[in-house]
Amino acid sequence: MGKKILIVDDDPDVRLFSQAVLEENGYTPVVAKNGEEGEALIRQEAPDMILLDVLMPRESGIRLYRNMKTHKKYKNIPIIILSGIAEKSFLRSQKVLTEFGGDPVPDPEAYLEKPVDGEELANTIKKILG
Amino acid sequence: MPTKLLLIDDEQTSTSLLALSLKSDGYEVLTAENGRQGLEIFDRELPDIVITDIRMPGMDGIEVLKEIKKRAHTAEVIIVTGHGDIDNAIDSLKYGASDFINKPVRAETLSVALERAKNKLDLQAKLDTYTKNLEQEVETVTHELRMQSNFLEKLIKTSEEGIVATDRVFTVIIYNPAAEHILGYTADAVLYRKKAKDLFSLDLMRKYQAKRHDYQRRKKLEHFETHVRNKDGDLVPVRFTGVFLYEEGRIMGSVAFIQDLSEIKRLEKEVLMSERLATVGQTVAGMAHGVKNILHGFKGGSYLMEVGFKNNDTEKLKSGWQMIQKNINHTSELVMDLLTYSKDRDVAYVPCDPNDIAAEVCETFTGTATEHNIRVTAKLDPAIKTVAMDKTSIHTILMNLVSNAIDACIFDDIPGKSYEVKVKTTLAENHVIQFEVADNGTGMDKKLRDKMFTSFFSTKGHKGTGLGLLVTRKLIEDHDGSIDVFSEAGKGTTFIIDLPYEDIKNEARA
Repeated sequence: MGKKILIVDDDPDVRLFSQAVLEENGYTPVVAKNGEEGEALIRQEAPDMILLDVLMPRESGIRLYRNMKTHKKYKNIPIIILSGIAEKSFLRSQKVLTEFGGDPVPDPEAYLEKPVDGEELANTIKKILG
Repeated sequence: MPTKLLLIDDEQTSTSLLALSLKSDGYEVLTAENGRQGLEIFDRELPDIVITDIRMPGMDGIEVLKEIKKRAHTAEVIIVTGHGDIDNAIDSLKYGASDFINKPVRAETLSVALERAKNKLDLQAKLDTYTKNLEQEVETVTHELRMQSNFLEKLIKTSEEGIVATDRVFTVIIYNPAAEHILGYTADAVLYRKKAKDLFSLDLMRKYQAKRHDYQRRKKLEHFETHVRNKDGDLVPVRFTGVFLYEEGRIMGSVAFIQDLSEIKRLEKEVLMSERLATVGQTVAGMAHGVKNILHGFKGGSYLMEVGFKNNDTEKLKSGWQMIQKNINHTSELVMDLLTYSKDRDVAYVPCDPNDIAAEVCETFTGTATEHNIRVTAKLDPAIKTVAMDKTSIHTILMNLVSNAIDACIFDDIPGKSYEVKVKTTLAENHVIQFEVADNGTGMDKKLRDKMFTSFFSTKGHKGTGLGLLVTRKLIEDHDGSIDVFSEAGKGTTFIIDLPYEDIKNEARA
């Protein structure tokens, strides 16, 4: 049984794509379709990694990211962000949020900008999880 | 100047005595021995007062009186009569004598009569002056009036704004060249021949009737943008101001000022067009997001298919193929939206029933809606009949809005909440059909509302091209319509679209 990876994305096609990549590479996917569901599954399943979209309803992707990265129990779970937003824009937005009174958050372990090849995704995961 | 008297008497002794006493009273005195001589002197000297004996050989006093009255009205004639001559005396008054005195002539009686005669003369003189002044005054005023009315007429004639004024029963009495130009009818065809309702729609008239009391209260002219139909039946965009004219509380007429907005509208359109092209150009970066999602979908689809082929997994093959197809659709939607948005297309008015279009759109979405437990209802105004409108535009507009409304419900996704999308049509005033698309989905806060019509702003993440509302708005503007939105986060969104329609040509003529 491979390592457990949580996929959080509101787009069913993206979930399907990521799921297939994980399965092909011997990982066990767990899927959530928004941030709230994702946070619940983290507590329940304690995944080894999170594959996260940040543009989701109710800003739940961003919230999940910031909650996890500042959580003493979960902050060491690596997060790969998979998004249509450019990495620069994302990092800038996080700086702004921190300036507006949030706790400083470390950068994600990896940032993949859509579109992403299956191999590219698999390689990134392998590099982090070893 | 002393008052000039003429004494006529055949008895020389009494004449000379009387003359002496009158001269001493300050009069200038002329004398004559008989009527004929008296008249000669009268013609020459034009005395103010004539005193004549009534009984004289030849021409008697009455005849002298008649002759004098024939020549000059203003001369006062005093008749001197003998005792018992009362009938003659009365006759003389009839012919215009100012007074009569009895013989023998007594100084006091005479001076009283003369005084009276003088007063009458003064009065007459004053009356003359007054009449003359009055005539002059009337002439001056008439002249001024004529000038003023010329001025007003020129003012109305040269006004760039069309002016149409009516009397109290709404017959057109003023119709200037600018109005001719806007409405197409010549002044000859309109003045005193047409009523206001022949030129302006009843809707417009009613609107004014309703505003009438407002105006009386606020003394402020109401104006609005509307359309008037010209002689050829074309709609001309105008800025319309109208007012009822009152005199002492009673209506005395009405006046309408119409400003042709065709040119302004054309310029507005040009500006809009260039803005639109600029938007398309500037937001390639924004579009990149939509494109990135689509490309990711293609990559996903092809990855799934590869895996499917490798493992002989038909399930994977199928979902991979579906993913690719879906993204082909997304691509074509995006390209079509971009084309619609950047192209300046002519509005094609064709006969259609707006209710049918609305019903068809609702029908299209019933499947998707039911899947997500959303009720789609249509409330269509039975007063709407077949009219001329751009059928394709209406279809696209409603498809976009209803699809948005359904997405807003899906996106909201609160368990237990019952979602509904309502489509409503209404036959409104001024040749306008109103479409309403309302949902009780997620709604928008102010930030979102402000960004709503900005290109490539999509709240739908992977689903939207971000161009839907932009395209919708453009189609509405091309159709000379308007779009309004009411939205509140958590409560839902309502779009209200007003689109003008035209009557079907042959129906209008019938």
